[in-house]
Amino acid sequence: MLATSFFGSIKMKFIIEKTLATGGRLGIISQANRQGNVTLETPMCTLFTKGGSAPHLSIDMLRRVAHVPEVAVMSLGALADHHETVAEFGKGLREFTAMSNPVIFTTLHDASAAISPGKNDNSGVAVWGKGGKIKLDTSLFMKIQESFCPDWFQAMSDGDTDVSCGNKRLVKSVDRTLDFLDEIVEAKNKSEVLSKSSLIGVIEGGFSETQRKRSAAETVARPVDGFLIEGFEKGNRDVDLFSLPDFTKILSFTLEHLPTDKPRIMETVWSPLQVIKAFKLGVDVFSSAYPHILTEKGLALVSDYSLPPLSQPAKLELQTANAKNEETNGLYIDLHNSRYSEDFGSILPGCSCYACTNFTRAYIHHLLKTKELLAFVLLTIHNFHQYFEFFQHLRLSLKSDRLNELEDYLSQQLNSGLDR
Amino acid sequence: MWKMATSKNSHALSLNILAKCSTSKARACAMTLPHAVVDTPVFMPVGTQGTLKGLVPDQLREMGCKIMLGNTYHLGNRPGPELLEKAGGLHNFMKWDRALLTDSGGFQMVSLLKLAEITEEGVKFQSPHDGSEMLLTPERSIEIQNSIGADIIMQLDDVVHSSVSGPRLEEAMHRTIRWLDRCIKAHRRPSEQCLFPIVQGGLNAELRKQCAHELVKRDVGGYAIGGLSGGEEKSEFWRMVKLSTDLLPDCKPRYLMGVGFAVDLVVCVALGCDMFDCVFPTRTARFGCALVKTGQLNLKSKIFAKDFRPIDSECQCSTCKTYNRAYLHTLANSEPAACNIITVHNVAYQLNLMSSMRQSIFEDKFPEFVQQFFTDMFPDGDYPDWTLQALASVNIHLR
Repeated sequence: MLATSFFGSIKMKFIIEKTLATGGRLGIISQANRQGNVTLETPMCTLFTKGGSAPHLSIDMLRRVAHVPEVAVMSLGALADHHETVAEFGKGLREFTAMSNPVIFTTLHDASAAISPGKNDNSGVAVWGKGGKIKLDTSLFMKIQESFCPDWFQAMSDGDTDVSCGNKRLVKSVDRTLDFLDEIVEAKNKSEVLSKSSLIGVIEGGFSETQRKRSAAETVARPVDGFLIEGFEKGNRDVDLFSLPDFTKILSFTLEHLPTDKPRIMETVWSPLQVIKAFKLGVDVFSSAYPHILTEKGLALVSDYSLPPLSQPAKLELQTANAKNEETNGLYIDLHNSRYSEDFGSILPGCSCYACTNFTRAYIHHLLKTKELLAFVLLTIHNFHQYFEFFQHLRLSLKSDRLNELEDYLSQQLNSGLDR
Repeated sequence: MWKMATSKNSHALSLNILAKCSTSKARACAMTLPHAVVDTPVFMPVGTQGTLKGLVPDQLREMGCKIMLGNTYHLGNRPGPELLEKAGGLHNFMKWDRALLTDSGGFQMVSLLKLAEITEEGVKFQSPHDGSEMLLTPERSIEIQNSIGADIIMQLDDVVHSSVSGPRLEEAMHRTIRWLDRCIKAHRRPSEQCLFPIVQGGLNAELRKQCAHELVKRDVGGYAIGGLSGGEEKSEFWRMVKLSTDLLPDCKPRYLMGVGFAVDLVVCVALGCDMFDCVFPTRTARFGCALVKTGQLNLKSKIFAKDFRPIDSECQCSTCKTYNRAYLHTLANSEPAACNIITVHNVAYQLNLMSSMRQSIFEDKFPEFVQQFFTDMFPDGDYPDWTLQALASVNIHLR
């Protein structure tokens, strides 16, 4: 086994319970970490955070959200500047940020934001914080990880590539990422603090099968505990990757070159339907930046993810609620719209989230119009709740072999919204 | 001789004085309103537009908040009185089941709108939305406040800046009384909403006296002291407060409008005020400032970058039980969540300050409380002169 660190890391285990013909897997990640034994069911999403906090929510408010993911993703951009503080604090990022998620996963970039490209070179990569660019080399990167003590950490990577990148750029991206990984593996092996942390290798290669294959093969040969697949876009650019001609083919090709016994992670901003598409190809772990992005736009998720017959009453109610609504696309509604100014129903009839059980569309419309902070608090709660619940339903549909039904049902909702 | 209220039940408010400080004019009361029994002295957080800056009502309930404010000017614009009536009032709209107080809208007219013009009819102003000319009369203010449905509503008053004196000030005082009578007449829901008149008269003792004398002739449930906290000299401020509380009847609550700095709260409780409101604690939170017994901490400042203590280790709020200053320092510079997190603490600070004062009044140890408060706030003993004078006027002598 390559994957045994000097200090004998307690490995992340990934057990597959079921594999679809298309490549999607129902699985369990289990791990003994600083918080004890952690068991995570996949497909799953992580908790998207800003500066180590759920966006707009204090811990007190986050407690009012059901099914909060066990894994909290904290990107280095907003936090790297504070690594000396966290080092002096001495108890890692989880306690510093007061988050109670059993798994803290440090990534490079804020999944909701675009990356300013062209700032990476052979010596390191740039991440972006409030104070601007922070240039990381592997030694600073590892110093930061040692002070943050994450449970999972993304290896440093040169991933600001997209469909427009030529072969030369992609080769460089793959090479640099592998060079960084070698340095990180070496440093990690010497680090007692990081002996219990899982290293997530990063797969690059843009839209080139050759480079994707090379990146996968070389990364697999190194002691990593899971894979983060990136390099399809330069951060979040509001592009539906599935609409790009080769994306599905390249992603599928990439996943085929990864071993089945480790989880695959993507940080892409994806709607539930897009999540299902990526899941079917074999992605296990997703970001929850999507509901955050909706929240920032004043949009609220209104899809029904439950499968018939459970879904019927809520569905009927929702259809009535949205009957006069030309704005909905079937997946979300825009609460800025003045049509909601006198709508005293909940955001989504039948939704059990804290926002829906207490407040009305009319009230949230008023909060948005008056630019009140509470609008974003309530939308965050609702959209998180819905997105987290979607993953519950996704797993349930897999367990009962009804994934296609769920996908069809979601597509129908999308189409019915557009037709209206 | 003014006439007593004809019936105890004629107002939507009753006051029960539970304890009086044997030294100063401070008192602890239970104020019964349609939606809550409010313990006084009380600080009322300001939820201008039907929300307290990022907090949900449950958070306020958990902190023990019993009454908060809404602003008639803002709510009258958005969402508007018609919508609020359809929603079943502001309580229902914002899901706050405890007490509410609304102002008259007059203050915002004059302070926010450059082109406001005051006539006997009302306040004429240009709509900030479409520029059309609009008129806020005493009747209209009460009509809107009736739609909002707060437990306590305020009369429309003729607000002048505290630097104004002479005939304009005198006119404003008299007009305030005339407008009070129009407000009383226009009030449609007296058994559900208690209307407060406002003592005006600027910094002119004679006018304030006249105004207070006129107000106590009317049958009202409580009194507000207005026209202060507008940047006037503190030595004049406290004298006007004291003069007003001296003239207002003991059996009704006294609401000092727009006052909320900790030092002012402590002094004005000593002078006999029961109710206070101010945007400062929640506004300063959004700029990253946390209130503590020694003053305030600007959490954006680098000095907190490696300070791993909570904002206040004795505070029981969820913020102090959860977060350290160094982390809040990183958040305060970048994340909106920081606003909510610090707002929780600042509201808790204000509520704790009031309940500590109340407790000390029950124990008849209010002067000792005041001494300790000033020792914490001014450890070098450099108490502002006005506080020494104001407190001495009610027999509290700081060491």
